[in-house]
Amino acid sequence: MKKELKISIDADAKELTPLSKELQQNIKMVTEELGTEPDIIIRQLHLYKNSKAALLYIAGMTDANVVNLLVMSIVSEPPLGSEGQEEESAFQTLMYRSLAIGGVQKLESIDEVLLAMLEGNTVVMVDGSVEAIAAYTCGVDRRGVEEPSTQTVVRGPKEGFTESLHTNTSLIRNKIKSTNLRMEYRIIGHQTRTTIAVVFMKNIAEEKVVQEVRRRLDAIDTDSILESGYIEEFIQDKTFTPFPLLQNSERPDAVAAGLLEGQVAIIVDGTPFVLLAPVTFVKFFQSSEDYYQRYDIATFLRIIRFGSFFASMLLPSLYIAITTFHQEMLPTQLLISIAAQREGVPFPALIEAMIMEITFEILREAGVRMPRIIGPAISIVGALVLGQSAVQAGLVSAAMVIVVSFTAIASFVIPSVNMGTAARLIRFALMILAGTFGVFGILAGLMLLLTHLSALRSFGLPYLTPIAPLVPGNLKDVFIRVPWWAMNKRPAGPNQNPSVRQGEPSSLTDKDADSDKKGSDVE
Amino acid sequence: MFTAHEAARSKGGVELERISLNQLGSMIVLFLIGSSSLFLLASDAAKDAWIAVFVGMLCGLILLCGVNLALFRLMPDKDLIEMIFELLGKPIGFVICISYVLFFCYESIRNVREFGDLMIMYLLPQTPLAALMLIICLLAVYTVFHGLDVFFRMAEAILPIVIGIYIILFTLIAGSGLLHLENLTPIFDDGFSTVWRAAFPELISFPFGELILFLMFWKHAAKDGKMTSLTVKCYLFSGCFITITNIFIYAGLGNLAGTVAIPLMQLTNLIEFSQFLERIDPFVALLLFTGVFFKLTAYYFGAVLALSKFIKLPSKHIIIIVGAVIYFGSFMFRNYMEQVWLGFQYNVKYHFPLFQIVVPVVLLMLAVIRRRRNEKVLTE
Repeated sequence: MKKELKISIDADAKELTPLSKELQQNIKMVTEELGTEPDIIIRQLHLYKNSKAALLYIAGMTDANVVNLLVMSIVSEPPLGSEGQEEESAFQTLMYRSLAIGGVQKLESIDEVLLAMLEGNTVVMVDGSVEAIAAYTCGVDRRGVEEPSTQTVVRGPKEGFTESLHTNTSLIRNKIKSTNLRMEYRIIGHQTRTTIAVVFMKNIAEEKVVQEVRRRLDAIDTDSILESGYIEEFIQDKTFTPFPLLQNSERPDAVAAGLLEGQVAIIVDGTPFVLLAPVTFVKFFQSSEDYYQRYDIATFLRIIRFGSFFASMLLPSLYIAITTFHQEMLPTQLLISIAAQREGVPFPALIEAMIMEITFEILREAGVRMPRIIGPAISIVGALVLGQSAVQAGLVSAAMVIVVSFTAIASFVIPSVNMGTAARLIRFALMILAGTFGVFGILAGLMLLLTHLSALRSFGLPYLTPIAPLVPGNLKDVFIRVPWWAMNKRPAGPNQNPSVRQGEPSSLTDKDADSDKKGSDVE
Repeated sequence: MFTAHEAARSKGGVELERISLNQLGSMIVLFLIGSSSLFLLASDAAKDAWIAVFVGMLCGLILLCGVNLALFRLMPDKDLIEMIFELLGKPIGFVICISYVLFFCYESIRNVREFGDLMIMYLLPQTPLAALMLIICLLAVYTVFHGLDVFFRMAEAILPIVIGIYIILFTLIAGSGLLHLENLTPIFDDGFSTVWRAAFPELISFPFGELILFLMFWKHAAKDGKMTSLTVKCYLFSGCFITITNIFIYAGLGNLAGTVAIPLMQLTNLIEFSQFLERIDPFVALLLFTGVFFKLTAYYFGAVLALSKFIKLPSKHIIIIVGAVIYFGSFMFRNYMEQVWLGFQYNVKYHFPLFQIVVPVVLLMLAVIRRRRNEKVLTE
């Protein structure tokens, strides 16, 4: 509790104004800065022996029950019959004896007082003292823990992160009850003063990566952080890439799993999306459900996902390339059928595909933004008017509608939304290449992608690990997912060595526990 | 504020790591297989072509172990250019190094041009050659800009795919009953001399002697005693692989194999598998593309690394200069036939052996002599 109470002022800020001995003078200074709006509450109290005190807080930022408790403990001071009362000043009594509250901090300047109030603390001032007390009474009304709306699973925990940083950290602490779990707080954003927690496992995460995360976070110099996306763009290794270089998750179990494999989590107050770094390309194809259901099914789903990723990237461009340049590649029957459909279509395949793809992107965007109530209208317009009628009117061919629909469905299979978005962007570039250079254009585009992917790094970790550089031990969790008892080593990469996950195999099946040991210790 | 953001984004503490052995091996295999498995090597030997390839491979092995690797072992911290300067001194070394840069560029040019012509022949008959070659050159420039480690990582990532496609192709060819091993008999019909003539020096020059380029790369590989044995293993794997492809092509196509431009493409055209997998030549196009791309980019890298040793220019400029030379150089042949003719009639017989055999052997002799002398000085 003590930690979040830490009220610190930037070192380069202006000279701090000290508090005055006069209570009224202090209150006047506060109202000058914050105004006399109705939500600035200043409660004046009379203490024992005629000394005066005041309680300052901002309504809505504090928990009313806690504040009531605080008031009660102040007015009931001093406890009857207590000894040593004479030597203490009123301030000391409050600070060290009578405040019925968990966390308190001593404040010495008016700037600290203002900051404490803005962060939801209640400030207690006593007449005749140049110090004030900040009592931790933060309590904003926030959404409770609900099922995550993205990254849903059939089997697995149904709880998701919320907007409250403390709820989120407690969700993680509940998963990992270890003394090695470290949480470091910092405040970023001159105006928003957003609290950010860097979470990692001290014994697993590689110290170099943690240092690098700290360094990059400290280098951020901005006035607002409203969502973890702000942080992501500031700290990622490279800006000009469609691929996500940090993972985000709404699921505490996914974040806990990441921490246990040596990733560093960055939690931003005010958003349920927690960042994980470093990350590799294949991570985006893993769903936390893979580990909760049978390994053979998980393996099958992995392959489906990789296939869908390539389908959503390549299918329209392959259709364009083949119907425009390489018709001879199609089996004769199929060729005739496609040619018959395309007979009345007035556009070349590239334009036809572009029209349909952009239409779909518009539909999808409308589906996300529109009010929920008019949802059915969109599906009627989308499915009937733009799909069926467009074919009947001879504007697009039926085969093209199939290709576009399949592409669309395939792009939703990827568990991570931001990787799906990357595939969407690349799809358009590949379509243009296919429309101008056919299969050669697609190959050139893919080779460009390979160069780009090989050059990418996330916090120093090559993006294509464990494929290139090859880490044989890690391949147990890429295209296939081996049973849990066979994953005795943590995937090499962002974690320290030796990184043994579990001891001797707990299954009775025989297997090569020794050969594992060689593979994983590369990084 | 901008600088702070830059600092936040810049990668910290990431130094260029050494090329791992696995990456080096992948690159050697990709480089040697390159596009050579698509063609019928040593077609002069007709049905004994595969024997010629095998013989060529063995000769190449002697060259590799006896000269290139021996040279590298004598001077493990130096690349080819540094060796030349060290052993031959400034004036002569300068001339030879310049000619090596030109040699690497020329090899790269041949790959670019060959690829462009074959693409036009097979896939895109109406696209201008200049556009195709520009695209592949730009891709190479993009790769070279990212540095050697990225290039070798690409090789590591793509090798399993390439090998996988070859295995699928071979299975399909064998499965559709296209292999007629009787095409290959009788063995040694024309005697061993025909085989030898087809193998030497053509097959040394292309593709087996081309490993001279790796004298530019070995220096950057991880310092590990296994490097030599790994190189030899990868070499043998690629050599056997090319031999097997050769057998497949000749057994599948017979005498036709010597007359078509891309025999493997011709052969896959014939695959018919349960009326579904019929025309899978785009896979061959993919193989051709990756093979050629890796080969031309490797030579491009060689030229850039070599040039940067004796020209003091920012590496960006050198990359662009060499890239421009390769692109415009590819227009020097009037057509595909001239390119093939020049290559097989002159380059392979007279020019390439100079760079692949003569100079390395001379360097090796000088290195050995110098070492003896040093040892003598030490013992005295």
